[in-house]
Amino acid sequence: MNILESVRVALEGIVASKLRSVLTTLGIVIGIAAVIAVVAIGQGGRAILMAEMEKVGTNIFAVFVDWRKSDEATGREFSLNDIDVIKSRVPEITHLSPVNNTSADVRGTRKSINAQVLGVNADMAVIRKLNLKSGRFFSQDDDLGKRRVAVVDESLAGDLFGRTEPLGQRVVINDTPFVVVGVIAKGDSLLGFGENPRIYIPVQVWTYVFSNFVGYLEGSTASKDQVTDSMNKAIKVLERRHQQPGLYQGESMEQQMQSANKITGVMTLIIGSIAGISLLVGGIGVMNIMLVSVTERTREVGLRMALGARRRDILIQFLIEAVVLCLLGGAIGMTLGVGGAFLIARLAHWPPLISWWTVFVAFAFSAIIGVIFGILPANKAARLDPIEALRRD
Amino acid sequence: MIRVAGLGKTYNSGEHPVHALKDLDLNIKPGEFVAVMGPSGSGKSTLMNLLGCLDTPTSGAYILDGVDVTRLGDGDLAAVRNRKIGFVFQNFNLLPRMTALRNVELPMLYCGVPAQERRERALQALSMVGLKDRVHHRPNQLSGGQVQRVAIARAVVNRPVIIMADEPTGNLDSRSGLEVMAIFQDLNRKGATIVLVTHERDIALHAARILHFKDGLLVEEEINPSPVQALPTPINTSEGAEGEVAGR
Ligand SMILES: Nc1ncnc2c1ncn2[C@@H]1O[C@H](COP(=O)(O)OP(=O)(O)OP(=O)(O)O)[C@@H](O)[C@H]1O
Ligand SMILES: [Mg+2]
Repeated sequence: MNILESVRVALEGIVASKLRSVLTTLGIVIGIAAVIAVVAIGQGGRAILMAEMEKVGTNIFAVFVDWRKSDEATGREFSLNDIDVIKSRVPEITHLSPVNNTSADVRGTRKSINAQVLGVNADMAVIRKLNLKSGRFFSQDDDLGKRRVAVVDESLAGDLFGRTEPLGQRVVINDTPFVVVGVIAKGDSLLGFGENPRIYIPVQVWTYVFSNFVGYLEGSTASKDQVTDSMNKAIKVLERRHQQPGLYQGESMEQQMQSANKITGVMTLIIGSIAGISLLVGGIGVMNIMLVSVTERTREVGLRMALGARRRDILIQFLIEAVVLCLLGGAIGMTLGVGGAFLIARLAHWPPLISWWTVFVAFAFSAIIGVIFGILPANKAARLDPIEALRRD
Repeated sequence: MIRVAGLGKTYNSGEHPVHALKDLDLNIKPGEFVAVMGPSGSGKSTLMNLLGCLDTPTSGAYILDGVDVTRLGDGDLAAVRNRKIGFVFQNFNLLPRMTALRNVELPMLYCGVPAQERRERALQALSMVGLKDRVHHRPNQLSGGQVQRVAIARAVVNRPVIIMADEPTGNLDSRSGLEVMAIFQDLNRKGATIVLVTHERDIALHAARILHFKDGLLVEEEINPSPVQALPTPINTSEGAEGEVAGR
């Protein structure tokens, strides 16, 4: 029998018992909807994460002390001289800065705020791609000359000085006065990075104001391909200089991106497999109803055989019915899934990513479920004995 | 047309074997109208199933239209049923969800007749049984007699060499039964070969030859030189068909 006719018969059957068809395909509907929504949301989330990381920079790295390997901080794990030595030994590293970080009260003209006080060198502006709203970042001369200058966050500046223009204002940190030379524009990060109020001061001054100690190093290379390699070279230099093999560990944004990618991938996979189980259950539901349908339509099968249907024709007819049923469920599920993905994406402010690929896979999957779970009932129908079947009422 | 020698069917499903049909020799020539009679359980339906290639004999030979069908496999038997045999059943066996037209189209679906031709031939067959104005009705919108006429249209639409009718009037009142017989006689006059099972002698007398079965054996062959002619009731006109429904 021709396929079009089988599809027509299947659709007539579905229309004739709408409620039953809808209930039958409910599992498929929910399964497909869940898969589509999960994948779309997952991919949207991943895209956001990647874009965010891309914004921070994929060519940056940091070198820390692996505290598991060090009994006690001596304060001599890094020295400020390391910076120049590393830069000269590893020319791929274009910018490198120590990062000292502590929280302290920062007093402005309006009020006093507890903020992160970072001691860095002039390279940091490049490494972290700091975007200055006004003024400038401090220079190498400021740093080496131990000038008491500071660069503040836009929001922190507001808190410290109110509406007054912050440039040229004085802030006091640990009884040491600084002059504000720059204001960093508020980031547009969606993930909420850099929300603590921050103030950057030259590291040479930081060690003077707080303690003679370097927290960790942050650097960048010209391209992201060099970053892991250069980072490892820098670690080698540090190990040799401080005679502390194995003490340091590095982390590059590239590695972080990979692991973030992996995490979102695994999450999508886990939720996806739960959705997949619902599809499986849906498939069994379809099989169940198809078995009932074959029993109900035994006489029809017998008649078709008497009229010249081969067993293969009967098999194909019931398979097509199962596939049509599943595709119908798939289509409804797809609509719901896409709708859900858009809704959630709108609420979460990230782009829903529904690729043609996903849609295609979902449809193919529905059809495959139809074939897999239709084969048993269809086979049952095809193996009926025509005389027995005709005699059935 | 049909040549049967030593044909037998034994069912082994129960405790002891049932010999439903025993050692039957039978020839049916093209254009014959044969009635089969006999008490219940005498093997009439068994014979029809064998002749209709729905079932395979346990012994004997069966040549249909020059083909030894006992040697055919499942697929070929389906093709034989499709092209060479037209069935009419006691309980009509129309598909309830389909219109008369599509029910009549069914056999043609299994031999790849293009849609356009399918439709034309089905319409032709339906108008032949006087249901030209009922083509889009579903079985539950038709009377019993009309339903059986649709079934006859379905049986002849693929131009079979033989029509097998197992008690086609069994579920009909006498008037509808006679209408159906008129159609069979009309088909026979146009050259169709028909084998018809019935319990009623009145019906059997429409055939030119009557076979009597008992306990699976052909016990008597009766020649009926002057078959009763069923009146071609006004079924060939649409007014008649209307009138008939109104009369019910
Ligand atoms: N599938 C089967 N299994 C076992 N026995 C069967 C089977 N089909 C028919 N029979 C037996 O074969 C014999 C002939 O049955 P058949 O149906 O041919 O009778 P029939 O002449 O058509 O009767 P009726 O007039 O009641 O329709 C009966 O005794 C019946 O019980
Ligand atoms: Mg019978």
